[in-house]
Amino acid sequence: MAKSSHARTALGRTLAVCAILFVILVVAFLISSMVGSQRLPIAGTLCALTGKSDCALTGEERAILFDIRIPRLLLAGAVGTCLAAAGAAYQALLRNPLAEPYLLGISNGAAVGTMTALVFFTAYGWTRPVFAFAGALVATLAVYQLARGRAGATPERLILAGVIVTTFLSSAIVFITTVMDATRIRSFTFWLLGDLSGTSSSLLTVAFGAVAVGVLLLILNARGLNLMMLGERDAFDLGVEVTRVRLIVFAAASLLVGASVASSGSVGYVGLVVPHLVRLSFGSDNRLVIPAAAIAGATFVIIADTLARTLIAPRELPVGAITALIGAPLFIYLLKRG
Amino acid sequence: MLEAQNVSIKYGERTAVDGVSLRAELGRVISILGPNGAGKSTLLRALNGSLAPSRGEVLLDQKPLTSFARRVVARRIAVVAQEADLRFPVTVFEFVLGGRYAWANASAWGWESERDIAIAQTAIAETEMGEFASRLMNELSGGERQRAVLARALATEAKIFLLDEPTANLDLAHQATMLRLIRSRCDKDRSAAVVVTHDVNLAAEFSDQVMLMKDGRTIAFGEAREVLTEELLKQVFDLRVLVDAHPVSGAPRVTPVHMQG
Repeated sequence: MAKSSHARTALGRTLAVCAILFVILVVAFLISSMVGSQRLPIAGTLCALTGKSDCALTGEERAILFDIRIPRLLLAGAVGTCLAAAGAAYQALLRNPLAEPYLLGISNGAAVGTMTALVFFTAYGWTRPVFAFAGALVATLAVYQLARGRAGATPERLILAGVIVTTFLSSAIVFITTVMDATRIRSFTFWLLGDLSGTSSSLLTVAFGAVAVGVLLLILNARGLNLMMLGERDAFDLGVEVTRVRLIVFAAASLLVGASVASSGSVGYVGLVVPHLVRLSFGSDNRLVIPAAAIAGATFVIIADTLARTLIAPRELPVGAITALIGAPLFIYLLKRG
Repeated sequence: MLEAQNVSIKYGERTAVDGVSLRAELGRVISILGPNGAGKSTLLRALNGSLAPSRGEVLLDQKPLTSFARRVVARRIAVVAQEADLRFPVTVFEFVLGGRYAWANASAWGWESERDIAIAQTAIAETEMGEFASRLMNELSGGERQRAVLARALATEAKIFLLDEPTANLDLAHQATMLRLIRSRCDKDRSAAVVVTHDVNLAAEFSDQVMLMKDGRTIAFGEAREVLTEELLKQVFDLRVLVDAHPVSGAPRVTPVHMQG
């Protein structure tokens, strides 16, 4: 007879895992706030973060902490949450552990959207996240339609669809950059690889708003996703409103990817590495994977960004380069495992 | 209960099912037999609403199936098919527990209750899968997976079972166990079952009624004795058979004749 301990304590286990991951996130956040091209003192920083005013921090250090570091870390965390949660959702929906927003070209779709807004609607800042969302959604639908075949979305078809969409959209990006002037092109190229330095409060609001809405929608549909992972027919037979869940999850994931790309460009591999590690450690139940990936994703990008800021300090690497350096080898390993 | 009225299903130009009527009665097992491509599985898919008929309708309790919410249908009708996609690791227990989805209350996360777990465990025991409960589904043999799929269907507490070749891949002992399980559910719980199968003799033993299909049409429908005749089987399968009575049960026993003379 099966021990029911697995399901019975599933909720407790989920909460415990999320709590532990959150603690790790907080530690990473704190350490990252002190590390950088200018190191901040530990005691002073911790004191200032608790809100006290008479701390061992100079005015300049305070400004670095609160005006530069903290907003940047918050954005990094939001980006990580968005991409990891979206990655977990795409993997469940497309029934493929290798589905990832960057690899499938969805990030590129959002980038095209953002760039279109930037170039043709420069004055209207709100168009950027909106167009990014639209771009991500269009790319998602394109990949989904391309990958469907009589045998369903096999891994090969999905990767192929991703390659087609990615390369097509890359050309679109090149096209748009030719419309831009030279000075913007350079900063754009940097942004495209993941740039967390352009933080502003409106950006953060958009990012966190998207995180809240997107992740909530995904969690609400997590159980349906569990069944859809086993096949859309099975899920339908068992009572899942397949079309509706698919639509909501695609929209939520596109929202997350769009917000992330609109704020900080294309950061790749987060949606691959984090959900995979979470599944490896805790199983495939999306009710745990999605919240856990959301929290762990924030930690991952915060750490990656800290490395990006410090490895060749005072110059910066794009955070996307760090995540790719970590993620690509893991991707190869996953491919080989089959 | 569940009824298909003059249902036709077309795939583009091709007519897969042509004007078939069938009623799944409480306490009865109906088997559907026929050659490959006769439309048996397609008909089954229409019966649970996954395929929409191009003509005719499917009624549940005299109301159109389409008027019910998905969840409600899933609580009443369970499907045992062979399509589980197992690219992600899932244990047998988690898999069977998935059958409780339609019963989850409206809580956001939908965590299973003690009762859900108990029902899943009972279903696992009934299908003799107890020793496999913590194993991963993709580590099992085809037959073991089939039993897990049946366990999941049992866990849905549905009263109507639609089974698509449930005994394929099962050894003789488990074939018997599976059909006996379905039979006893129908006898004791007044469930209804519609079974698409290639095993003519098992159908003869366990069904109340048999439908012979060919090219999407019903060729014959009635008790096994009336339907499983040498003429009708030759007409449907293009194969010469001998039909006599099973020495113990008396049910029709179909023996194909392969050799000439």
